[in-house]
Parts: sequence; structure tokens; C-alpha cells
Amino acid sequence: MQITQEMSLIEKLHILTDAAKYDVACTSSGVDRGGNGKSMGNCLAPGVCHSFSSDGRCISLLKILFTNECIFNCSYCLNNCNNDVKRASFTPEEICTLTMEFYRRNYIEGLFLSSGILISPNYTMDLIYQTLYRLRHVHHFNGYIHVKAIPGADPVLVEQTGFLADRMSINLELPTSESLHRLAPYKSRKTILKPMRQIQNRIQQNKYALLEQNRGTLCRTVGHETGEVSSARNPQAPRFVPAGQSTQMIIGATPENDFQVMSVAEGLYQNFGLKRVFYSAFVNVTNNTNLPMLPQGPPLLREHRLYQADWLLRYYHFQVSELLSEERPDFNIYLDPKCDWALRHLECFPVEINQAEYRTLLRVPGIGYKSAQRILQARKHTALTFADLKKIGVVLKRALYFITCGGKMMYRTKLEEDYICRNLIGDRSQIPREIRQSSYQQLSLFDLGHV
Amino acid sequence: MHILICEHSIDGIFSGIYEAYARRYGHRNTELALSCNLNSYQLFCEYEEIPVAEAKSRKVSNTLRARFGSEVYSHLCEAISAYESPSARRRSIDKAEAVYKTVVLGLSLADGSKILDQLGNPYVNRVFQLSRSTFNEAHHLLGFLRFSELENGILFARIHPKNDVLALLADHFTDRLPLENFIIYDQVRKIAAVHKSGSNYMLAEVPNGADDYAKHYSDQELEYRRLWLAFFHSIAVEARKNLHLQGQNLPKRFRPDMVEFHSDSSDHPASLKL
Repeated sequence: MQITQEMSLIEKLHILTDAAKYDVACTSSGVDRGGNGKSMGNCLAPGVCHSFSSDGRCISLLKILFTNECIFNCSYCLNNCNNDVKRASFTPEEICTLTMEFYRRNYIEGLFLSSGILISPNYTMDLIYQTLYRLRHVHHFNGYIHVKAIPGADPVLVEQTGFLADRMSINLELPTSESLHRLAPYKSRKTILKPMRQIQNRIQQNKYALLEQNRGTLCRTVGHETGEVSSARNPQAPRFVPAGQSTQMIIGATPENDFQVMSVAEGLYQNFGLKRVFYSAFVNVTNNTNLPMLPQGPPLLREHRLYQADWLLRYYHFQVSELLSEERPDFNIYLDPKCDWALRHLECFPVEINQAEYRTLLRVPGIGYKSAQRILQARKHTALTFADLKKIGVVLKRALYFITCGGKMMYRTKLEEDYICRNLIGDRSQIPREIRQSSYQQLSLFDLGHV
Repeated sequence: MHILICEHSIDGIFSGIYEAYARRYGHRNTELALSCNLNSYQLFCEYEEIPVAEAKSRKVSNTLRARFGSEVYSHLCEAISAYESPSARRRSIDKAEAVYKTVVLGLSLADGSKILDQLGNPYVNRVFQLSRSTFNEAHHLLGFLRFSELENGILFARIHPKNDVLALLADHFTDRLPLENFIIYDQVRKIAAVHKSGSNYMLAEVPNGADDYAKHYSDQELEYRRLWLAFFHSIAVEARKNLHLQGQNLPKRFRPDMVEFHSDSSDHPASLKL
């Protein structure tokens, strides 16, 4: 029996935020859209963080569920139908008002709307679509919207929703289909990957269509006017998920190793054109017997290493097979993946800063992709010294073992694995302070199993 | 050596650059210095004060925009708007001098828009550091700034920035909230950006402060603050609690101007004060 009771907006917000918080993606990046002078909102490609909660994570979007009622029984999820939690649902109008009022006070950068599955996947997807439609066309909201596609929903609904959103995501949830089958029996790889493929294809088509259209407009503009090309894109042309799609995997609920997780991520980047893959250290909220108990807290250091490796894939032209293998399936917990790789490939070093090409520079520990770009620009005009590198933003305490400037190393140092490794581990930034402090216990425990 | 002393403002430094060219002492024999940096005089130097001249400053800014492009031009302006701590000021190249020598170098290049790539050059590097500092703070404030709705429907925000970022912020919010009436008040410099619905913003000096003006909030304001606080506290994952990381990402100096930190104890959602 269900007892319905009028619930205040603040109570609903409390429940439906609490239910949404384990989804990690809160980025508002990937799309640049200026204001149009008529409605409220614009978007900046790098994204904007509006606050940081007490867990240190960025708050950028109003991250809520439409409802936390759910017909699925995924055992890791707080909202599964067997769980005894207070249930609530917003109305579309409530979500619109909250978004608009928060946005104009500059609390948020936009809306992140997800939902439990109410009645059926189609019914829920339609509710989400109605809400976004209202927000865009009744309230004239021009800011960022990230929306979840519901696995198993009709492709037509997914498509319509995509034209209203900036980013869409479908959570992969677990790295292998066996794990998914075990923990989320109502979901399958197929229902997750099908909409993911659909969104990927639609984004591509939309890009080509816009290109064609732009070419048409450009020709006309150049022909008619003074030759100066104004921002030729027709602002009315509908864009499909312009900030791309992302997904998320739960880490530590199932026995997969880092090699499996990263290989899946690499596959998603290469074959599905994903913008981001997020990793979520598993927090046991349901105490289900299928799931591991984690007395030391969520595996935050492992999550941290996965994110570091993820950046190496996306920005540093690394491949998973270079970082991990069947024989070494997990990341070194003492060293970040790039240092770890460099130590195992000392034959590639030292690298001469004033000559090495971009991709070689990218592989040097302590040189980020921005520093590498700056080095390339700056060395055209002058031979760089270690002092210059420091100003450019290179982290010399890591880089100094691997680079030369004008043929000289910074100090007398040995190019020897043990020696460098000892010195790098002495560098405390290898393991972030917050992890060192909050769960030192956890560290020493799961060391033993891995190294 | 001729040292031209100019005022600490965009117009002041641009006037200085104009004079540095007009006097034809040769760039090697000329230096610019900010009046606020002048503690002692050097031997064998001639000092001259350069008054702010808007017409000259505009000529310089037109030239720079044309030769360097708007991106480099705005980096130069950001560098001039940057705050320097007194110790940093003593240790490093004078800001006016850095901008001046960067401009001289840039105008000698065929393609001036590439000037900021020469990070090996100490003057360019200084400009780069300064402009990055302003840009970073402005980017922080794009998110951390909080508007409150006043009784008359106007949105009011108060900020205490280190660098002079008001114009950068006002540009952003004029684009974002074109139909709102809003005021962003820089309490450190006592300047406000005032935006009227459907028009561009204006900068106004507010020597007496805006305290009287921004006292009365609208009826709804309290309600939405309460909702925002409920959201802010519910979104945190207890099992990942990490105040150190929060402190790293959101420095304490921004917090007095943010509603979610007003009650000062992030653990008590109940305590709500205006």
C-alpha cells in the first residue's frame, strides 16, 4: 500500500539530491554557447565549478533525480525496489522553477537530471523529455543540461531528448557483462550499449549536417557583405548533444582488475567516441549480501590512479597496453602511472627539452600537456634553461631525472631505476594528501595484495 | 636612463607607453615604473611623471588591438589588472616595465599575436604570470559569485577579489543574464558594475559603499537560500568526506560572500542566517 502525502519542496529536494549524489559526473564542460539576448543562460567550454561540497567534489549542476521510485533491483543502488527508503517525485514545473531560480542566483551552471525507473523505461524517459522541453521552451533556459538516457527506452524518445540536452550519458555501471548480470539483473550490456551507439551516430550526423549548413551560410555571407565572415552558424539550427556523451563505472564492487577497467574505457573512447568515462569508488549503501563490505572506506586511491591513467589516454597518447598487461594487471599504488611507465622505460630518457618533439615531451613525468605546448612555443625564440621551465610550469622535482637542457642535467643524478624510484616515492605528492590522511590504513592493507 | 613614472591603471600605463615612444630616448634607455612602486631613486637616472591622458591611451590601445589581436590585448589588460603582494612587487620586474617591454618586442615582430608564446623572455613571462593570475581568479568568481534578490527584484552580488576582475565578470553576466537587472559590487575597490535589462553594463564608483542599498531582500530570497542549502548539504557523500580537498578547491577567502558558507558551520543545515 502506498500512502501519499503532500511533501514540501525542500523535503523532496533533500531526498532526490541524496538519491542522485552517487553519480560522479558533475562537469558542465564541452560546449561554448553565447547568450542570445532573449533568454537566460550561456555555456563556457571549460565548464564552471560553482561550489565544492564537504567531500571536496565540485558542484556545477543541480544534480537531482526526477524520482527515486524504481522498478529495478540493482543491488548496488540505494533506490532499488527492495530497499526501504523514503520515496519522492518532482513535478516538471518544480524542476524548472528550481533550475531557473538557482541559475539566476548563480548557484549552478545548469541541470543534471537523472531518474529512477517509474512504471517503465519509456514512461520515465518521456517524463524527462517533458521536463526538458518545458525548461527550454516555456522557461527559455539556455544554460547547460546533462541528462541520463534510461536503458531500454524507445530510441525516438532518446533522440528527442538529445536535441534539448547538452550532454547525455548512460552508465555502463560495471566493467563486465557478468558483473552487470549479477548485480543488475534488469540491465544488460545490450540495453546500455544500444542507446550509446545511437547517440554516437546521431552526434556524427548532426555535426555533418551543421557543417553543410555552415558552408552554405558562409558562401552567402562572403558573397553579400564586405567579406568579413560573421559568426555564421544559424543559432536556430538544433544541435544534438553538442557536449558529447559520457558514462560511469563503479570501481571495487566487483572483482575486475585495473587492466580490465582501463581496457573497457579505452574501447569506449575509441569505438563509441565518448567524451569522458568516470570512475566511481564503490560506497556500500545497501549492505546487500552480493556486495563486498569495505571497512576501510571506498577505494579512493585506486579511483585516483584510474583517473590519472584516463588522462594519459585522452591527452597524452598513451595506450592501455603500455601501462598495464595481463601479468601486471593493477596500477602501482606508490607511483602515478606516468612515473611508473617512465621508470620501466629508462631507455627513452633523458629527453633534451630544446629538441624533443611534442609527443616525447608529453611522456616526461612532471611535464603536462599545457607545459609541453608552452615549451614548444617558447623554444622557438630562445634556448630554454631549467629556470625557464620552472616558470613555464614544469614540475622539476619529478622531471629532473628525465630531462636535459642544452645537454646538461639539472643535478648530477643517476639514470637508474632504483635510485629514481626511491627519490620519486620520497615526493609526497605521489599519493594525494587527503588520501594519505583519511585512509592510511587502507593503503597498507591493499598494498600487500597488489605489489 | 630615463624613468617614466605612470599611474597604476590601464590608462596610466598606456599613457606611459605612448610617451616612451614619443620621447625617442630609445627603448634601451627608457624604463617605465609605477608610482606606487617608487620607494627610492637610483643614481644617474632622470625621473619624469607621466599624467594620465585618455586620448593617448586610446591611441595605444587601438594600435595594440590592431597589431596583436583582441586575445593578446585582453591578456595585457588582465596583466595590468593583476594584484601583486608587496613582497612579490619588490622581487620581480615592475609591472609597467614588463608590459612596456613586451609591447616593444611584440611590435617588432611580423605577427604580434604570437608575442605571448615567448615565455623564455623575462618581460613576456612576467606579463603571462600576471595575466594568468587575474584570469584564474575571474574564472573562480564566475562560479563562486552569488546573487541575492533584493526587494525591488534587482540581483545584487558582493565580491572581494584580489585582482581587478569586475569588468571580466560583468561581461560574462551581461551575456548570461541579459534580461535581469543586476549589480556586482567590488567592495575592495568600491566600484560597481550596474546592468539594466536589455542593455550593456556600466561601471560606477561607489565611494560610500553599498551597504544601505543591499539590506532588504525579497520574500522569496530566503526560501531559495534555504533550498540551496538543503541541496548543498545533501549532495555531499558522507563516506568521502574530505574538508582538506574542499579547502584546496574553494579557498576560504571566497567564502564570506557565498550563502552556503554564511552559517559558517557546514555541518548544520538548520542554522540559517541572512
